[in-house]
Formats: sequence, structure tokens, C-alpha cells
Amino acid sequence: MDDTSAETPMAASLADLSMATAEERTAIWSLMASAGPVFQIPGGMWMVTDPAGVQYIHRNPDLFSNVGIIGAGELPIRYVPSGVDPPEHRRYRKILDPMLAPRVVNAMEEELRVQARDLVSSFAGRGSCDAVKELAVPYPTSVFLSVFGLPVDDRDRLVHWVETMIEKSPQLKPEFAEEYTKASWELYDYLLPFVEAKRENPGDDMLSAIIAGDGEDAMSNEEVLGICILFCLAGLDTVTGAVGFMLFYLARNPELRRRIIADPSLVNPAIEEVLRLEPPAPMFPRIVTQDVEICGVPIAAGDRVMMCLAAVNRSAETYDEPNGIDLDQADRGHVTFGGGVHRCLGSHLARREMRLVMEEFHKQIPEYEIAEGFEPEIMWPSGTLHLRSLPLVFPPAIGGDA
Amino acid sequence: MRVVIDADACSGNGRCYSLVPELFTDDESGYGQVVDGGEFGEGQRELAEKAVRACPEDAISIEEG
Repeated sequence: MDDTSAETPMAASLADLSMATAEERTAIWSLMASAGPVFQIPGGMWMVTDPAGVQYIHRNPDLFSNVGIIGAGELPIRYVPSGVDPPEHRRYRKILDPMLAPRVVNAMEEELRVQARDLVSSFAGRGSCDAVKELAVPYPTSVFLSVFGLPVDDRDRLVHWVETMIEKSPQLKPEFAEEYTKASWELYDYLLPFVEAKRENPGDDMLSAIIAGDGEDAMSNEEVLGICILFCLAGLDTVTGAVGFMLFYLARNPELRRRIIADPSLVNPAIEEVLRLEPPAPMFPRIVTQDVEICGVPIAAGDRVMMCLAAVNRSAETYDEPNGIDLDQADRGHVTFGGGVHRCLGSHLARREMRLVMEEFHKQIPEYEIAEGFEPEIMWPSGTLHLRSLPLVFPPAIGGDA
Repeated sequence: MRVVIDADACSGNGRCYSLVPELFTDDESGYGQVVDGGEFGEGQRELAEKAVRACPEDAISIEEG
């Protein structure tokens, strides 16, 4: 491992590579893994591709901090919970985990299913759709609005603000700052009156439940709005990515798709394999709090480490078919939702959204393929990956809205 | 054999009770719990091993005896 800190040509040009096709992503994650378990790239960031190294980071939040990894810009908010470290972090997760636990998601399932069904119905009779723009983008935003007790009719405005905040992040380019700041204030100003109204008149929704905490569970507006905006930044675009990739793989593997439709017990394994192969947030940073070693490589306090979750998910030691979908390996786990105390709070909801989309799509549109001439596009560099568009064609469903 | 979840390592991924509901259940926060105090017969070994494999935190272990 003597050469693990060497700068590799691949790492030097990571930002210049294309992430658009499945084959390009496979090449990039393989190259990263082959560059070493831990290596430094120009600018000083450490990349960690080793499964044990990533687990070590996840398990030691005292050594690897989340504070400062997400910039709040000028908004008066705290990015709760994933921008906070233990022990304070524990308080937030104790309050929030039960609100997105599987049994709570079960209770919401029918409502979320109807939303998926309605979106699919809107194009099922047409014989074609853009599965990203007409389903993978609007669906998670509708879900967020209904879970938080906000008007679902506001969906498209919310999509616009969140897309701007993600695609125009000043962390990508400083000149985006103005557009980013405008969208982030618009989102803040949209949410604030609802927070204030629900303090007065709570409803039966997650936002009201967060606000209802008293004593040591009481939350300030700074915290509540931080939770709302973080949910928007972490829980919408990522689900868009996951749903888009899911339908992409199902569209181009008709045999796999028909097996899943014939045997519903394969739905969840297929979702796990898509999540493993295409993590929407493929890399995740931490800031080192004291001098440490990862896989024997010394790293100094203050340095940044980037966990290459996508590379861990394709470890040849764990999976027989690291770069393809194989339902027989779906029970071997993956780190798409991160790990340790910061494990994705919305993982149970995200998995359910994927399942509801797959089930409702296949009920109305069992046979479909990718439209001829499709050229996949994925914004990169970016913290999250999602297909911008996925044009599908299929026999028009009878009874759907044309 | 006895199946044990290391509560410090468990981060609530929920793979154990989703894949092996025969041996695991969820608590109200979505974290995994073993059923029947984790004491199972040999007939359940395959299920227990499946959960061990599926846990992304390597938080599940099988104690013999």
C-alpha cells in the first residue's frame, strides 16, 4: 500500500469524466477502486474505496465529522440532523427516527401509492412518457409535501427551488451563488409560514409532529426549517435518481422485468440491486477531527475524506456480479444509505417509494422499452447522480388518461 | 445457537427484519430486534446466516452453544 497516496491520472481528471452511461460509471468506479483503498487527489481530498475503511469512518463519527459538510449559505437554519455530530446528533435522531420508521411508512402507504398511480395514469394511455420528468422528478416531491402536510399543488414550485439549489450549488461553481441564494430564500420563505401556522394549529403530519416536541424535544424554527430543507436536498433528488435508474434497468432488461412481474417476491431484491449498483449519492464526505490512519494511511486533522460508496458497493470480494444486476446477491447488503449514526434517515421511505413506483408502473405498463435514439445525460460533477431524462415507449394502456 | 445484534453497531438499516422476519422484528424507531431472546434451533441457521450477510453494519452475529 506504499503507493496509495499517489496522485493518479484518473483522480486528477475525475471532474472531466462522463457519468452518463452505465458503462462509463462502471469504468469510473472500477478505476477508483483500482487506484487504491485510500488515495489523495489534487486539492488534498482523500478518497476511500475500501469497504473496511468506509465502515471505520461510519463507525467513528468522533474522528470523522459531519459539521460543515453542507453549507447553509446565508439562511438562518441548522442542517439537522446530518450536519450535526454526536452527542447532539443523538437527540435529533431519537426524535426523527420514529417518524420515518417502517411502521410509520406502512401507515402512509396507501396515500403514497395513489400518488404514484395518478402520475403513471397521466401518461399510460399515451404510449410514451419521460419517466424521469413525468414520474421520477414529481413523485418524491409530492411524497415530501404530503408527509409534511403541505399542499401537494405546490409541487412544481418546490421542484424548481430544490433543483436550483442542487444544480447551482456554489460548492460546484462560486458564480452560482446568486441563483442559489435566491432559490434557497424562496424555499425558506415558502416553508416558514407553514411552520408558524402548524405551531398554532398542528395537523396529522410529520412537520406538526416535529414542531409538537416539548421540553428537551422542543425545536426552534432554525432547527425545524433545517430539517425541512435538508429533507428537500437529501430526499428528493436522490429518489429521482433511484427511480430513474430503476426504470432504466427494467426497461433495458425485459427478461428481468418479466420475471419480477411474474413473481412479486423479486420486487425488493431488484430494488436492492439497483440501489447497490447506482447509489444516487455515490460519494460522501467527512472532515477529519484528529490525526488518524485509514487502512494504514496516515491522514491529518482537518483533511477531508470522501467515502466512495459506489466503489464499496461493487467490491468483487462481496459480489459475484459486481457490475451487473443479479437478484441472487441482493441479500449481501450495500452502503448506498451510508452507515453508522448518520445512516440515511429516509431510507425506509425511499425504498417504499421505489417499490410503489415499480408496482404501479407495471400494473398499467408491463411492457416498455427505451425510445430509439436515447442519449443518457447525467449532470457531473455533482453530489448526486440522476438521469435527466428517460424516454420510454409502450403499448398505450386502455383506460389511462391520454 | 443464539443470534445477537450489537446495538452499538446497528444503525437501523432494517435489512434483518425485512429479509428474515422469522427471527427479527422492528422497534418503533425502525431498529432491528431479535425475537424469542435470540435463542433458535439449528433449523433456523440458514435464516440467521442470511441476516448476518445482509447487515451492512456487520452488527449481527451467531453465538454457538
